[in-house]
Amino acid sequence: MKGKVISIHSSRGGTGKTVIATNLAVTYANKGLNIALLDLDFRAPSLITVFSKGIGGPVKHWLNDFMNGQCTIEQALINVSEEYNLRGRLLIGLANPAIEAIQNMIGKSRAWEVTAVKKLFSLRSTLSNDMDIDRCIFDTSPGIQYSSINAVISSDVSIIVTTLDSLDVKGVQRMLAEFYDAFEKRTVVLMNKVFPQTRIWSNGRQKELISQMEKALKHPIIGVIPCYCDVLQAERASLLAIEKLGHPFLRNLEEVAEKLEHIE
Amino acid sequence: MAAGETVRKKWPNLDVNVLLTMLIDELTQVNKKLDSMVELNGKMLKTQEEFLQRIANQSYRREIIKLEPDAMTLLFLPRSLRKTVMALYKLKEATAEDLARETNRLRAVESASANQLVRMGYLKKKREGRRVYFYIE
Repeated sequence: MKGKVISIHSSRGGTGKTVIATNLAVTYANKGLNIALLDLDFRAPSLITVFSKGIGGPVKHWLNDFMNGQCTIEQALINVSEEYNLRGRLLIGLANPAIEAIQNMIGKSRAWEVTAVKKLFSLRSTLSNDMDIDRCIFDTSPGIQYSSINAVISSDVSIIVTTLDSLDVKGVQRMLAEFYDAFEKRTVVLMNKVFPQTRIWSNGRQKELISQMEKALKHPIIGVIPCYCDVLQAERASLLAIEKLGHPFLRNLEEVAEKLEHIE
Repeated sequence: MAAGETVRKKWPNLDVNVLLTMLIDELTQVNKKLDSMVELNGKMLKTQEEFLQRIANQSYRREIIKLEPDAMTLLFLPRSLRKTVMALYKLKEATAEDLARETNRLRAVESASANQLVRMGYLKKKREGRRVYFYIE
């Protein structure tokens, strides 16, 4: 589907949501697809740090400005494909990390949130028809708050990233039952940071784990990514898909990207 | 014994004419008070009637509470209404037929759902020729 919007969400912070979102975007762009990656975590912006090398100068328009109706989406997107030598175009929309901007986004009215969700819904046609974008990825804030739920309800597919930690799993379970099911969104779960030395991997019980998790969460598991020490040790701001081509983490992510293509 | 004789015996110097005048004055004042109470009651009934009328046609509620179909609010709406709002987020403005195409439900279902949302104050509707368009303000 041209212009498919994918939101990356989690119940709690630290599950690897941004690492997945950024590397998935680069993986797609490396394949020659045109990608828009939007930082919708207005409370804790991170793409500005991840793509600091590729931005090349001060940011003229933030995603905040677009949401506030102060610029167009074309103005709020920065093309970083040349800097990272990507086959396809990678356009990034950055959330403003200034404290005033964060404060401003926190104190929005419900009327503003209605306008915001309408803007996100209309993004698909602008991005695919006017800007030739193949996939749009929303990196959201964790848990249930306006910025994340607006992103989730306006996307075509949602990926919930979770670890095997019981707090994460229980949180995802609740979020799926109380929020996702209410909106009937196409949702898949990506298990990240699964310890490879545990019996899950050593005894080849991966299929069993997936089936148990699918039963517990009542949603499909799109992939299980092991916890790679070098990924954990690397700066969260580093781009593996640029810096460590061929890394098994990226192979896992390519499989996820492949499976995503079959979800309409 | 008649009441007049009893009064005369008790107060031999009492002038009946003066007494009557006093009574008439008192009665006139009571009458005035009753008139103003009746008038006030009439005003109260009228206000109450207007209030009930405004509630009945929902205009009062729309004036004082502006309802927003934001994502959090949608969570608390019945599933069938939520589906209509979600479709309208996407379509911006739509007829019941457009909504039915988007949600894969019957036109009548969408019409009922959208009109219910209009009555609840979440949606607006406008007529263009023979078509009725629903939208989120």
